Amino acid sequence: MKKIVWALLVLSVVTALLVSGCAGPAPQPTPTAAPPAAKPEEATPVPPAPTPKPPEAVKLILWTKEGEEALDWNKALVEEFNAANPGITIELVKKENVEVLREDFQTASLAGSPPEMLWTVNDHAGPFVAADIIEPVDGLFDLSVFVDSALAAVKLEGKTWGVPISNGNHLMLLYNKKLIAEAPKDTDELFAKGKELTGGGNYGLVWNQTEPFWLVPWLGGFKGKVFADDGVTPTLNTPEMIATLQFLHDMKYDAQIIPPESDYDGADTLFKEGKAAMIINGDWSLSSYKDVLGDDLGVGRIPMVSATGEWPKPYTSGVYFMLAKGLSGDKLEAAKAFINFVASRDKQLEMVRLLKRLPALKEALDDPLIADDPILKGSADQMVVGTPMPTVLEMRCNWDAMKPEMQAVLADTKTPEDAAAAMQSAAEACIKALE
Amino acid sequence: MEALTGEVIVRSLGQVGGMVAFTLLGALALEVILYLVLGRLLKSRYTLPYMLLAPAAVGLALLVVYPIGYEVRLAFTNMSLRHFREYTLSLAQGIENLRWVFTEPVLKQAKFFPVLGRTVLWTAVNVVFHVLGGMALALLLNRPMRGRGLYRTLLVFPWAIPQVIAVLAWRGEFHYEYGFVNVMLQRLGLQPIQWYANPLWNFAAACITNIWLGIPFMMVIILGGLQSISREFYEAAEIDGASAWQQFRSITLPMLQPVLTPAVILGVIWTFNNFNVPFLINRNELETTDILVTALFRAAFEYNRYGFSAAFAMVSFLFLFAFAVVYIRVTGALKGVYE
Repeated sequence: MKKIVWALLVLSVVTALLVSGCAGPAPQPTPTAAPPAAKPEEATPVPPAPTPKPPEAVKLILWTKEGEEALDWNKALVEEFNAANPGITIELVKKENVEVLREDFQTASLAGSPPEMLWTVNDHAGPFVAADIIEPVDGLFDLSVFVDSALAAVKLEGKTWGVPISNGNHLMLLYNKKLIAEAPKDTDELFAKGKELTGGGNYGLVWNQTEPFWLVPWLGGFKGKVFADDGVTPTLNTPEMIATLQFLHDMKYDAQIIPPESDYDGADTLFKEGKAAMIINGDWSLSSYKDVLGDDLGVGRIPMVSATGEWPKPYTSGVYFMLAKGLSGDKLEAAKAFINFVASRDKQLEMVRLLKRLPALKEALDDPLIADDPILKGSADQMVVGTPMPTVLEMRCNWDAMKPEMQAVLADTKTPEDAAAAMQSAAEACIKALE
Repeated sequence: MEALTGEVIVRSLGQVGGMVAFTLLGALALEVILYLVLGRLLKSRYTLPYMLLAPAAVGLALLVVYPIGYEVRLAFTNMSLRHFREYTLSLAQGIENLRWVFTEPVLKQAKFFPVLGRTVLWTAVNVVFHVLGGMALALLLNRPMRGRGLYRTLLVFPWAIPQVIAVLAWRGEFHYEYGFVNVMLQRLGLQPIQWYANPLWNFAAACITNIWLGIPFMMVIILGGLQSISREFYEAAEIDGASAWQQFRSITLPMLQPVLTPAVILGVIWTFNNFNVPFLINRNELETTDILVTALFRAAFEYNRYGFSAAFAMVSFLFLFAFAVVYIRVTGALKGVYE
């Protein structure tokens, strides 16, 4: 019996050792964990190292939401920065889309291994701040150099949670001048011209029918909002939302100017192939369309809603750097160096030239490059009537609530009234579940 | 993408080297201890079997038992985005999570039982077609014919392709404008189908893809079973004047049962838990195509209801467990293992 007890004891110890070992490799002394060699701003005195060591290499992982030309620019920036900073290596990881980036970042943070930096959109700040998985950037950067509206889009709880890269990220109407000389001014004209241009595999208008980001401009055009004045109570079951959903349904089933089925890639391909005269898409797509259509690319406002006389109000925000929670030491310094590099005037103007995006840096905004460019001028004109995208966590619930219902209306499986009611109940249930 | 150079290989090995070395050393230490304790000290005659089983047992404990334990614990918390790092753990919260699973939508609109019903329908449709398709092809291949090897290779092909790649290829083929399926329908003079947006057709698209993927497995299993049936049975039946259908019903089917039963159980479990096909084919993220596992994923990682999702996972597990127990009892499928 004694032997068995002893044997079990030994086995338990071994198993415990194995289990504790499998919890992860022993923490290696990283540049972050090591005491900084000499930092004037450090208040705590650092014990002198017995022997001077060369600075260790710092490696940072950057997740980006970008694709196509913007991704190429991301890569070029990283390569240039890495070459100029031998001690720092930025590793760029492209995520499939913004939603995948958000979900993966939350999961990676939960697992304790998030990337150090994100290149993403402002509304991610809401869930990330609620989950306490990103760092505020106040005090780390000179934020006074950026456009106020760009900073306002990442302010929550009195802090700034991202460093702006570009300003806008808004939807607009893009058209192929070979197929339609001028953008329609209102929705009546849109439907009339759309009907003329639709047929034989061609369409008057295309847009991503799967995401409610494409619904909210029209909601604004019908004088609706997704939140009440307190900014957190959903207002989705309203006559304005019903009118918006009815309008989208009419666009598909009555006017028949859009494809029966179209996601982002489908709409994008139809427009690039010249099979769609107009597309509603964001400023991130401008450079790729410019490459395909050249001077035949026209940019204008999304047509005014004839029924209300209001311009549709796309959400405006921008693209931002965000820093993972706990980033400090040499890694933080390396991240700051890279962000300052991207936010420099030269790089901001390079972005304007390559991607046709409006810069977030004030001094770059005054450059003639922007005023003289018809595409950027059109983009800026659309932004004037846009509305800032809410950053609060409750917006996440609104997006998730709107998505299936918008799709149900477009699939003709729900009436606009039922869909609006379902949106509201789903958003309220989601907000309740957050608590 | 970075080129696969020697430097990259060395660097990659360096990144995983620590864990590999730890695993090897841990396994070695475990074996030495077991040998000393069981072999030398206790003089057990089962020393070798225990030594052979121990690394797998420890590995399973770490990779399966621990995560399940963590999941059970999570089911009793209110972990969500608002309570991401600091959440409360209590019995009351666990009961509340369970209550929500059955009373509130598990997604945005869909409640638990409709999703469960859809999962059962999904499983039934797929497994029935897997067995019928696999049986038909196996019967065809189980006879002398020219080019049989080539046919077998071609028919097993879907099984050889990584599932995610096959599903993504199928998803492309269901595209409204550019997909092969709609192009063919239009060539035949039919209307194209909204495979992504229409709930019914999206579910059908997922079923078609999964049936295509699952038939080869059943075919291989059934073919193996058919080849083990002695020709003498059929010869005797022919002498007695039995028809082909009578031979199939009275010889083939009963003789196939020992092979077919575990294959069907596996098929049911795999299909019930199939994530890749319904998730990836459902490009528009329609709730009407979600089955339990995809709904669970969305609840946890898209809607960030971690505590609730863990309770949801427990309930799904219990349903599957109950099914497996009943099925095994009724069919006596595992008799051969414990008798």
